[in-house]
Amino acid sequence: MVELIYLVPLLPLIGFLIIGFFGKKLNNEKLVGAIASIAVGGAFLVALGAFLQLTGESSEARTEHIVRLFTWIQAGSFHIDIAYQVDQLSILYTLIITGIGTLIHIYSIGYMHGDKSFPRFFAYLNLFVFMMLNLVLANNFVLTFLGWEGVGLCSYLLIGFWYDRKFEGSHIVWTGDAAKKAFIVNRIGDFGVLIAMCLIYMRFGSLEYTTVNMAAASGGIDAGLITAITLLLFLGCTGKSAQIPLGIWLPDAMAGPTPVSALIHAATMVTAGIFLIARNSTLFALSDTTMAIITGVGITTALIAATIGIVQNDIKKVLAYSTVSQLGFMFMALGVGAYTAAVFHVMTHAFFKALLFLGSGSVIHGMHEEQDIQKMGGLKKYMPQTYITFLLGTIAISGIFPFSGFFSKDEILWNAYANGSPILWGAGVLAAFCTAFYMFRLLYLTFYGEERFDHHHVHPHESPVTMTLPLWILAILSVFGGLLGIPKALSGGADINILEHWLEPIFANANSILASHHTNAHHHSLALEWGLMAASLAIAIIGILYAASLYKKSSSKPAEMAAKNKGLYNILWNKYFVDEIYHNVFVAPMYKISLDFLWKIVDVQIIDGIVNGSARAIAVSAENLRKIQSGIAQNYALMMLFGIVAIIAWMVFA
Amino acid sequence: MVQDLLFTAPFTFLSVMAIIAMVLDALIVNSSRITFIFSAITLLFSGILGISTFGLHGIGFNGMVTGGGFAAYFDILFSIGGLLTILTSRQYLQRENIEHDEFYSLVLFAVAGMMLIAHSNHLLILFIGIEVMSVSFYILSGYMRNNAKSVESSLKYFLLGAFATGFLVYGIALIYGSTGSMDYNQIALNINNNALNFPALLPVGVALIVIGLSFKAAAFPFHQWAPDVYQGAPTIVTAFMSTAGKAAAFAAFIPIVTVLMPSAPVKLQMIFAVMSAATMLIGNISALAQTNIKRMLAFSSVAHAGYIMMGLVSGSQYGYSGIVFYLTAYMFMQIGSFIIVAILERNGEKYLELSDYAGLSKRHPVLAAFMTIFMFSLAGIPPFAGFFGKYFLFTAAIDAGFLWLTLVGVLSSIISVYFYIGLIVKMYFTEPEGQREDNEVGMSGLSLIITIAGVIVLGILPSGILSIASNLFNSTH
Amino acid sequence: MSLHVIMFSLLAILAIATGVLLVTRRNPVSAAVSLILHFFALSGLYLTLNAQFLAAVQILVYAGAIMVLVVFVIMLLNLGKEQNMRENFNPRTAITIAMSAALIMQLVLTFTGNPTGKNQLSAASEKIGSPAEIGNILYSTYIFPFEAISLLLLVAVVGSIILAKRTVDK
Repeated sequence: MVELIYLVPLLPLIGFLIIGFFGKKLNNEKLVGAIASIAVGGAFLVALGAFLQLTGESSEARTEHIVRLFTWIQAGSFHIDIAYQVDQLSILYTLIITGIGTLIHIYSIGYMHGDKSFPRFFAYLNLFVFMMLNLVLANNFVLTFLGWEGVGLCSYLLIGFWYDRKFEGSHIVWTGDAAKKAFIVNRIGDFGVLIAMCLIYMRFGSLEYTTVNMAAASGGIDAGLITAITLLLFLGCTGKSAQIPLGIWLPDAMAGPTPVSALIHAATMVTAGIFLIARNSTLFALSDTTMAIITGVGITTALIAATIGIVQNDIKKVLAYSTVSQLGFMFMALGVGAYTAAVFHVMTHAFFKALLFLGSGSVIHGMHEEQDIQKMGGLKKYMPQTYITFLLGTIAISGIFPFSGFFSKDEILWNAYANGSPILWGAGVLAAFCTAFYMFRLLYLTFYGEERFDHHHVHPHESPVTMTLPLWILAILSVFGGLLGIPKALSGGADINILEHWLEPIFANANSILASHHTNAHHHSLALEWGLMAASLAIAIIGILYAASLYKKSSSKPAEMAAKNKGLYNILWNKYFVDEIYHNVFVAPMYKISLDFLWKIVDVQIIDGIVNGSARAIAVSAENLRKIQSGIAQNYALMMLFGIVAIIAWMVFA
Repeated sequence: MVQDLLFTAPFTFLSVMAIIAMVLDALIVNSSRITFIFSAITLLFSGILGISTFGLHGIGFNGMVTGGGFAAYFDILFSIGGLLTILTSRQYLQRENIEHDEFYSLVLFAVAGMMLIAHSNHLLILFIGIEVMSVSFYILSGYMRNNAKSVESSLKYFLLGAFATGFLVYGIALIYGSTGSMDYNQIALNINNNALNFPALLPVGVALIVIGLSFKAAAFPFHQWAPDVYQGAPTIVTAFMSTAGKAAAFAAFIPIVTVLMPSAPVKLQMIFAVMSAATMLIGNISALAQTNIKRMLAFSSVAHAGYIMMGLVSGSQYGYSGIVFYLTAYMFMQIGSFIIVAILERNGEKYLELSDYAGLSKRHPVLAAFMTIFMFSLAGIPPFAGFFGKYFLFTAAIDAGFLWLTLVGVLSSIISVYFYIGLIVKMYFTEPEGQREDNEVGMSGLSLIITIAGVIVLGILPSGILSIASNLFNSTH
Repeated sequence: MSLHVIMFSLLAILAIATGVLLVTRRNPVSAAVSLILHFFALSGLYLTLNAQFLAAVQILVYAGAIMVLVVFVIMLLNLGKEQNMRENFNPRTAITIAMSAALIMQLVLTFTGNPTGKNQLSAASEKIGSPAEIGNILYSTYIFPFEAISLLLLVAVVGSIILAKRTVDK
């Protein structure tokens, strides 16, 4: 099956083409939805086959599957293939993407029912899956970059999908603006990747992952260069995975339809940054500076996003900030060298966050597009299935034993302590506390308490089966998914951490480099691990109980607290003013330069004044026109003269 | 002699045919249709001649011209540019009511001038080529004689162009005075052997030639004519000037820089780097604030000259092949977007504002989709042609040790995304306003298909052109 | 100081002076006359450089044919003094003058260097002044540019006709 891996991206591509070209003519929602879902589902089956084949092989053989389709670019020594690399890491990602992708496709058939652009939605969704699969399956940077840009593009198209709707955001009015913001912010990071690719090609003479990482492992590379390359790659990751400083786009990306938020902005695309670093773990391991920066950025983002999440009232925005925060967790794990833990968390997070988003979509659907949790409450009895699955997802993300979130979060926290520092652990636990708190706040405000919606206009109802079925499957995965990575401490010393074994060969080089950097690694006692685990669990439970005390019954306590700590509340409510700062520091001045100087002065006054004037002047007086025209050309000539004098001066007298 | 003629076959053929086209105009009444077909076929054949002389390699007419390889590649490129222009122009000219027969001959003459530039191995030929091209451009840009802006743009172009030409000629004279030759090979030889008659003149000559060519390429600070001229000129002429014209300027630059670079490598590199950086930034930042699409594309065209100039900074065959690839890609994406502008435009400069593109995806889904692809390509997003172009130029600049230049390039690319995407948002994410006449696509459709195919094929399968481009510089230098 | 240098200096000064007059005269006829004088000075310079044929052609074509045309045009169009073109002194003029002065200074400084004497002109090119020699070279070495220039002239003629055509006839 591994040889057939090209079918995995090909099927969604075919789906995209069919729906893209004939979707409107088919004029049948069920058929379009079925084609799209089958395309992705088929890809999942092929990937599953490949996965089963890999499991039957020895761990060394698994890494060596490279399926070359054809040569993409061949110019001199520059050589890029369209080739897919099937190994433990890529197949895991592929399974997540196609598996959850299939569920979300099925869910969308119900969710998008009746939308005037139903086929367009599914075409974009299939295209996205195609791009995402190229991103993770590629055996070289260029193909990954193609996927990287492609998912950005699809994300952009899907955020702006309901372009005629207004969307509230900072400096944003329409969904189109949110899409544009996401795209541009992402492009900043993408160019980092582009330069990194230039540097990699110049240093290694190749852009294939295997060659580059092999060469990196053998050493002898300038440390500064490696730091530059990895930092530039990381810049790309901060864009795609919504980390500081480029994380501002993700909450606004919630302007898109909810299944999009689940698929792209929670389960798959935003974890591309983690993938890129995991894929190039050897390169990253070589630079302590970069690793430290990744750790710092990760934990800072995790904390900031988690605290912002506490005060949000839009159900999707809470989940968006939660996603940013969880991604920060994953980056922290990467930063301390716990690659497996990061990938593990990618997986469990994909399960429960997709579940939560789809659940929120079900709520929004049932509430007639209402997203404000202040206007919900008591929905438990109206939508029981949504409630139960949402509850399971919430427990999972809060990290309660034995749900999946517990294992992955705990592995990250343990690594943060063991390879990092107690402070890092403390910060992580604080973020986890906030997570448990705001997630249960969300749950209580939505499903408990008095019904705050308008009974005359809103009639909450349970969603159709195409929507609840995926919820249940994801709920099951969220509950049990963690069992793939049971730590030694809990298994009584038995080595049953399947995931770690599975991924071990991928990160072997990186781990040995890291080990050589930290020769004085401590050996921590089992008791300590147990203790930390219990502590983090206890803190999460406190968070939940605190949320319950404040929000389970409607009360005025939260409002009083907000009023008491008005300063803090304002900071959180305004997301630490990051958007404002960016707007005032980058966007506004750029416009100002362009508008006030280049446009208003150079263009309007000098050029346009004359051009516009000339139209009038031609009627009034030929002399006038001539005068004005010669005036302007003289200005240009003068500018040229400046250039000429400067260039000659530089050539002759410098 | 036969060999010599063979080297310049596309040029010779084209100039003879251009003259015949003019004679046809004079002899036949209502000849525009015939001239149109005649010119299109002529360009097709000159392109084919370019392909068939591609394998040749050598110098002809007493060292005046080169043949095959580099020159033939540009012959083909210019023929394609001319062909796309002519295919699109008929409908546009008829609608604007300015279809005079000489239009097609003038396009042919301009292409002939560009070919001379690409073939030149002698400063005299270079100068003649530049002038043939420029004079044709001056006339073409003022072709809408009843339109004040068009006439103004023509005059402005002519005045400033003459100013720049003066410096170019002076530069040629100084180079001659210093090296005792106008033949590229001889100049290179004398510079490398330090056999200079008057060494002090050389740097000034080099500077002036660079200045003259930078004007043609519309690089800062010699770019200011470009937005005005591009906006005022008939749209199809703008498409032609801003692509083929720019390609011709760089076709002149590459051999000249190869010859002159050794005289002051560090200084010249720095000049190109600074010009490139400033051009990219100013072009893109200015484009940001435009509301007129022609003007926006004009500023973006200035910015692209900056990107291309990064290839000159490197002074290596890697950079040059990057330039050749970028010019090819740029030809398709820029002409393509101008064709769409020309299709939607109406007399009296109607529908040229960005707001006129609101909801285009509703009215013309195909045109909107094509425009989107062109914009993505211009913004350098894979898998379209523009991406690889940028990649190779950026790598070349880093390779030459100009990381800061690449960073400026990246910064300005990010700025450019803003307005390219802005147009797409307009087309897709806003509702159309008001009723609009139907837009006929007609023959423009053919050139649209060629350009879109070019953009996509160069993006998905760039190897062919890329290996050709890099071989151009392996064999000759 | 040899006679050669004295001749050159006189002619050069004349050429520059008439050139300046050409630009500064507001009366078109005096500007045209300055231009004619300028052409004469140039042709004298050619003579000092041993280019007799060029000198003759310069007078025949430029001072003769072209300037007659120019004067005719001035008469036919009945151009008056270009009073309206008069501009008040403004900062741009000052900057332009300063920059031009800087450019001239740069060039002057450059030309004060000395020739090395390498790459002297060949003996054949010393005889460049004779029509026979020019004809020979034009039709042998320079045949290609010679023909190419005809294309340039053609384009220029066509262009001026197009731009000057009074009405749009079709």
